[in-house]
Amino acid sequence: MTVMRDTVVKSLAKITVQGDENGLIPEYEVLVNLLPVKLLNTFSERIMAAAPPDKKAKVEEGLVRAAYECGYHTGCGIITSDIFNDVVLPMVTEGEKDILRGAYAAFTAWGWAKSGIVQLKEGEKMVIRAFDYYEADSGGEGLRGYMLRGLSQAFFDLAYAEPYPDGMDTYICRQSKGIEVGDPYGEFIVTKK
Amino acid sequence: MALRLDFTMDAETNRQYLNGHPVVMHSHHYLALITKMAGELEDINGTGILRDVVEETMRAVFDDYIRKNGLTSAQDKCNVGREYFSVFGLGKMVITGDEQGGEVRLVRSHLDEGWIMKWGNTDKPVNHFTCGYVAAMFGAAFDKPLKSYTVTEAASIAAGDSEGKFIVKVS
Repeated sequence: MTVMRDTVVKSLAKITVQGDENGLIPEYEVLVNLLPVKLLNTFSERIMAAAPPDKKAKVEEGLVRAAYECGYHTGCGIITSDIFNDVVLPMVTEGEKDILRGAYAAFTAWGWAKSGIVQLKEGEKMVIRAFDYYEADSGGEGLRGYMLRGLSQAFFDLAYAEPYPDGMDTYICRQSKGIEVGDPYGEFIVTKK
Repeated sequence: MALRLDFTMDAETNRQYLNGHPVVMHSHHYLALITKMAGELEDINGTGILRDVVEETMRAVFDDYIRKNGLTSAQDKCNVGREYFSVFGLGKMVITGDEQGGEVRLVRSHLDEGWIMKWGNTDKPVNHFTCGYVAAMFGAAFDKPLKSYTVTEAASIAAGDSEGKFIVKVS
């Protein structure tokens, strides 16, 4: 048996989070927050719009980096969590490949991106397609899937680079298609840096 | 008043909604890095953009809740923001004040505590996010337009204080 995506999505999608008595959400070895999508998209749009042409690449890199570090550290917590162990690990028969399949099922279940792997060369390259992701609703110009770029790079690092926390920045992700620019889906390609 | 929470999920996309507003989970790494980036972009008003975006978007959430639930007293309206803050996982706050302004104590703080977990203490206050949040909260409580209140971070958990303190004044 390999990871059965629909089963994972259905199992994880039932989970909701909210702050504890201290107003904090300690989960997956990090503090989680739950924020309006509009806030995140509007910030990305305005900070990109405010940046002069010679700074746009730096700002874009910063937005991807925020998602990348969030994904790398939280991702390690997710794939070692009780819920991931209970739901995903029993179906893992193909090592890192199945861990990644489980991770994209979790992205889908938690509403980050309805996404999955369409091509995978282990340790070399991965192609992701996303048919819904919240940044597709953002305003602005050009490809804007900063979050999914960062997350995809982070999870490929977790799967195939040096063990956590030494494998950061081994791979890089670029976006080749985007719903936000009129394509039918977003496409994200991870390769060695 | 206890905030009424209605968590729903779109069956097709799995996007999550809280009281009808799309929401998404991230971690302290994300918010800390966004905040740090805004601070490094002061030449394009990075922290001002962050504060304004938080005020505008949170205000829409508060106003919607206040309208749908028929709240009329300033205290009840202010409590909407206070309780949402904790539901969002942003921490725990204590509010005092009136239409002319006031003070918000931050007893626990996602951003400040996350910042310390990630980088240790900082040498100056960094919680621009909560400045925008508090401005939205006072504006909603007293039916004032956006940017009616100026919020200054006078004490900071990230900078080593035991609690955060935000001073609110009419702009």
